[in-house]
Amino acid sequence: MIPLYMPLSLGAFLFGLGLWGALTRTNAVRILMFIELMLNGVNLNLVSFSRYLTPDDPRGPIFVLFVMTVAAAEAAVGLAIILSLVRNRGTVEVDRVNLLKG
Amino acid sequence: MSTELIIFSVLAVVVLASAYKVVTARLITHAALFLVLSFTGVAGIYLQMHQEFLAAIQVLVYVGAITTMILFAIMLSEIRDIKMEVETRRTGLRYVVRRSAPFAFVVGAVFAAFMTYLFGVAGWDQPVGAALPYQVQAVGKELFTTFVVPFEVASILLLAAMIGAIVLTAREEADR
Repeated sequence: MIPLYMPLSLGAFLFGLGLWGALTRTNAVRILMFIELMLNGVNLNLVSFSRYLTPDDPRGPIFVLFVMTVAAAEAAVGLAIILSLVRNRGTVEVDRVNLLKG
Repeated sequence: MSTELIIFSVLAVVVLASAYKVVTARLITHAALFLVLSFTGVAGIYLQMHQEFLAAIQVLVYVGAITTMILFAIMLSEIRDIKMEVETRRTGLRYVVRRSAPFAFVVGAVFAAFMTYLFGVAGWDQPVGAALPYQVQAVGKELFTTFVVPFEVASILLLAAMIGAIVLTAREEADR
C-alpha cells in the first residue's frame, strides 16, 4: 500500500485549491463549487484514516456517508438561495449583495 | 507496490489539475465540468483504497446529483443575469492572479504545505490495514442497527433541505 501521508497530502492540496478559489472568486455558484471541493478533500482525509488505521471498522465509511448527506443538503439549499438571489437582486456576484452593509 | 504508486499518482494529477482548472477556468460551465472530473478522480482513489461503497456513493451523489444541480443553477441564473457575460470575460487566469489571488493563493498553498509537513512528520508511515477492509454488508448492518437514529436524522435533514429548496425557489410562482 502507498504511505498514508500521500492521500492525506492530496486531500490537503484539494482543500488548499478550494480555499484559494473560494477566497478569490466572487461568483456565488463558483464559491459553492469550491466548498464542495474542500468537502471532498476533507472526505478524502477521513477515508484515508479509516482505511489505514481501522480498516475493518465500517464506522469510518458511515461517517463519510453522513458528511456527504450534509454536503448534498447544503448544496441544495445554497443553490436555491442563489436562484432566489438572482430573482430578487439580478446578480450572482457576492460583492454586489451588500444590502446589510452599513 | 510500484503499480499502486503509479495509479495513485495518475489519479492525483488528474484530481489536482482539474481542481486547478475549476479555479482558473474562464467559463463557469467549464469549471463545473472540471469539477465532475475532479470528483471522478476522487472516486477512483476511493476504489484504489478498496472503498467500493464510498466510490459508488461519490459517483451517485457528487458526480450525479450535486454537479447536475450546479449546472442547473448556472443555466437558470445565467439567463437572468445580464452582467454575467461581462464578468466572465475578465475572469481569465491573468485577471485572477492579478486582482486578489496572490494573497489567497499564498493562504491555500501555505495551508496545504503545512498539512503535508505535519502528515510527513506524524509517523503514520506504517499502514496497519494491509488486509482487505470491511464488506459492504457490514456497513449496511452497522447503519441499520447502531446508527439507525443518525440515519433517520439524516433522512429528515434531506427532507428539510428538499422542502426548503422548493419553498425558496417556488415563491415567485406562488405570488403570481
